[in-house]
Amino acid sequence: MNAAEFPVLSILIWLPLLGAIIVGCIRNLKAAKWGALAIAGLELVTALLAVIWFQSENSNELQWVEHHAWIDRLNIEYFLGVDGVSILLLPLSALLTLLTLLATWNSVQRLPHFHLSLLLALEGITMGVFTAMDMMLFFLFWELTLPPIFFLIGLWGIGPGRRAAAMKYTLVMLFGGVALLFAIILLAFNHVDAIHGTIPDDLAFSLPVLLTTPLSAHLETAVFFLLMVGFAVKAPLPPFHTWLPTVAMEGSTQMTSLLTGLKLGVYGIIRFGMPLAPTSTVEYNWTLGIIGAVTLIYGALVALQQSNFRRLLAYASISHIGLIIVGLSSLNMQGIQGALFQLVNFSVDASALMLIAGFIHHRLGSTERIHMGGLAKVMPRLTGFYFLFMLAGLGIPGTNGFPAELLLVVSALTSHPSLAIAALAGAVLSAAYMLSFTRRAFMGPTASAAVRQLQELRPRELSILCVFGALVISFGLWPDVILEKQRAAAEAWLNHLLEPPAMDGTDFDSNLPNPETRE
Amino acid sequence: MDALVILIPLLPLGAALMLGLGILFDWWSGEEKESLTSGIALWTVTMSALLALTLFGADLAGKNRGSFNLGTWLQSDTFEIPVNFVTQGIGPRVAALFGIMLAIVVRFSINYMHREAGFHRFFFVLTLFSAAIQWLVLSGNAVGTFAGWEVAGLCSYLLIAYAYDRPAAAVNATRVFVTNRIGDAAFIIGIGLSYAYAESIDWMKLNTLAAQLSPGEATGIAFCFAVAAFVKSAQLPFTPWLLRALEGPTPSSAAFYGSVMVHAGVFLVCLLEPLFEMSAFAMGMLAVVGLATAIYAYLLGLTQTDVKTSLIAATSVQTGLMFFECGLGLWQLASWHLCAHVVVRGYQLLAAPSLMHNVLGNPVKPVNSVLARSYRLYTVSLQRFWLDSAIDYLFVRPIGRLSHDLRYFDDYIIDRILGSPAPAMRAISSLAQYEEQKIGARLNNESDLFAQGSGLAGKLAEWISALIHAFEDRFMLRGYGKNATILGRRIGRSANRFEAYILRPRYLVLFIFITLLVAF
Repeated sequence: MNAAEFPVLSILIWLPLLGAIIVGCIRNLKAAKWGALAIAGLELVTALLAVIWFQSENSNELQWVEHHAWIDRLNIEYFLGVDGVSILLLPLSALLTLLTLLATWNSVQRLPHFHLSLLLALEGITMGVFTAMDMMLFFLFWELTLPPIFFLIGLWGIGPGRRAAAMKYTLVMLFGGVALLFAIILLAFNHVDAIHGTIPDDLAFSLPVLLTTPLSAHLETAVFFLLMVGFAVKAPLPPFHTWLPTVAMEGSTQMTSLLTGLKLGVYGIIRFGMPLAPTSTVEYNWTLGIIGAVTLIYGALVALQQSNFRRLLAYASISHIGLIIVGLSSLNMQGIQGALFQLVNFSVDASALMLIAGFIHHRLGSTERIHMGGLAKVMPRLTGFYFLFMLAGLGIPGTNGFPAELLLVVSALTSHPSLAIAALAGAVLSAAYMLSFTRRAFMGPTASAAVRQLQELRPRELSILCVFGALVISFGLWPDVILEKQRAAAEAWLNHLLEPPAMDGTDFDSNLPNPETRE
Repeated sequence: MDALVILIPLLPLGAALMLGLGILFDWWSGEEKESLTSGIALWTVTMSALLALTLFGADLAGKNRGSFNLGTWLQSDTFEIPVNFVTQGIGPRVAALFGIMLAIVVRFSINYMHREAGFHRFFFVLTLFSAAIQWLVLSGNAVGTFAGWEVAGLCSYLLIAYAYDRPAAAVNATRVFVTNRIGDAAFIIGIGLSYAYAESIDWMKLNTLAAQLSPGEATGIAFCFAVAAFVKSAQLPFTPWLLRALEGPTPSSAAFYGSVMVHAGVFLVCLLEPLFEMSAFAMGMLAVVGLATAIYAYLLGLTQTDVKTSLIAATSVQTGLMFFECGLGLWQLASWHLCAHVVVRGYQLLAAPSLMHNVLGNPVKPVNSVLARSYRLYTVSLQRFWLDSAIDYLFVRPIGRLSHDLRYFDDYIIDRILGSPAPAMRAISSLAQYEEQKIGARLNNESDLFAQGSGLAGKLAEWISALIHAFEDRFMLRGYGKNATILGRRIGRSANRFEAYILRPRYLVLFIFITLLVAF
């Protein structure tokens, strides 16, 4: 197995991007659909192979590294790699895209080729976000996610305000991007200062290099808050969260399912936001914790008042992100492991629920609870799956939500007990909002003739939900399989935060390769 | 004999899995498959009961080693959760008793539930509940017990909402589950504190370590577990959920609220006897809450005219007394009381439908003479001390209002500050507007403005653009002539020179330096 030389990550990025072009060129719609499905399937297989060949005992080290010069003058590289933090997100995003393609098999009527292409392109770009280890490359992929999402929301949205929603999403994201870019540039210039080099020869954008570059305290605080703002917009954390409910209402459900499932913002916080400013993270971890707790309670309380299923899910997902932030802020193993686990869970639970919302909307034309009343009688299977994913969201034992939430709450209890109590109040509230919605939408007498005529899940839809259901149960029963892949990476992450690189910079210079000898 | 223990919860769990998948994929439904469903359920639950009895017998004969470990379920740093079971002491004893009761309930339900619409669903939940409760009782660590605890609560929810098309059932089920979540939260805090103070979530280790804990730490842990137990066993102030829970079919009421689940709280407290002994406060709390609940439920029971509610009120009295006994340190008595009460109340609830049949037409018994004399006491009892309304008034409604306000805040303040893009506002929103535009009558003149923004950033951008536009309009466009061209060239030249300067490395470094200085 000479796996090390095989450019798996490049394949993961470029296969769907090329596929997007090919699918866009195929005239025959059926062929295009099957082609897109084949590419998504191939992508999933590749991603699974990457996971299987991944050495989990060395998950703190970057694996499948690819290093090529890209913009030589500025030392920007085409630098890819995965470690325990990101490895599981690859097959999950591949799986999510595959299932999304299946879920929208017949429901996209306008410009179906373009839709397929955009979904594939988004998949490739997302893979890029998860694997890029050069800050500029990461930023490129980060911003590249916007055009496909813009069109996916604007063209195939289900609400009357879809164009505005697409615009809103893009503008808000661009705002976050500015903060991010500024932080990246600050870091690169700081590197020049740290090794007393010159611009542009000694600019550095590679993440491993930047992680070992000491930062002065002031600069670090600035970088920390800039990165946090940049990622908070995407995560989303209040007050930058209003795009998510809007997109959930206006955008297509498959798009929202991808957006709520793939938590790029939280990934960014874990991968870049906290490690790049370790001292500030430790210093301001209480701020982070309070933001998390506020998000958690705020999201849950607002969710309590929602009458639309999609909006409810949007706020529920905001509330869940709050819990992750609380866990991360506690700076211990349970926190980071729970956060990484929860990141994996999102791509299963949140997306599955959003797809269910899509199935309901496709049949009923609405996900308002007054239109849905009594759905359980008509669609018992869909209701069964709904319950499974909802319970996973509540963290009931046996589902994947339980180990993750347990870890997060225990982590908070050992470091910030008051935040843990807020987290548990959130758990009570989450039961309240989910179940009272369930009561009105799924239980009770059948609301209308329209509901009575609904068709139960079709085999294609059933199989999609079965895949998600199997993941929910198996992650819940054997959580160590997932934790094992991430353990070494989580330890390294934590050690980096608690023992940041030396500040004086004298011994730092000797560690770095000499600027002259570097190519 | 220790290895037997794993089969006790796993057999019903397997049955639940089979039934669940069968229902989901429509492998079995309707009357002809009833015997299959009930057969699976009865066989597994009975086998599990027999195994529990065997385990209990082995324990009496001294053949068990005390615990059975299956490996690690989850590990994070020093937080390690094993899958282990206890095979000695109170666990197997209660498991044997619960097993027998559950087998009886399952057997009873086969006839009782015949031709019910949710027959298969009922047995799915009942087997899942059997698995959960055995897991709760037998697990050797706090997380395992919690898993059983929470799944049992979920099953309770599913059975209260058994007739989910009746709004009352759905409302009560939701209320009961949310109340139970409070206890679950307390349980989780208990687990976290055990880990933080004693570095172990193993029941046996926790009990042996209890002596080394400081009174404060012991009180903290004991308090959390006590609150969890109070919720599960419906002690004050959580008692009202029990009366709401009777919506489910009678056999399920018998299994959950008469005999098995409602005793889980008492079981938990008995299990943690050494820990509670360490904390005078926790013991006092057990005694006070238990006694208060017993009195409360007794007064409540006096005015109940329904057979199920009066039996449940009696159950509350007895569980209250059990907590009282625990609080006084009479642990042996409490655990015997528990076992005896499980049997009696289970029998009474199962027999209740027949009783109703037999007493049909009998005159209603007059109200208790004490209550008859005191009009006030009677009202208080009838209204159940207004406890439910008080909780509504103190917690449910304020949270609802807060949530309402926050939603308003979110929709009308945060969203507005962030703004929405201009095209949305200039778009045609009604047919009338469309008609207007078609005939060219621009009645809403504002929409002619080109640069429009909303939100904080949008408004700022709008004003700045208006300012620049005015500047451009006044000074550039109107003042454009020969002079302007010359001026422009001059400015251009000096700009070029300036740029040449600024691109020299020293200025560049200086510039960055200033930026950095300004930034801090």
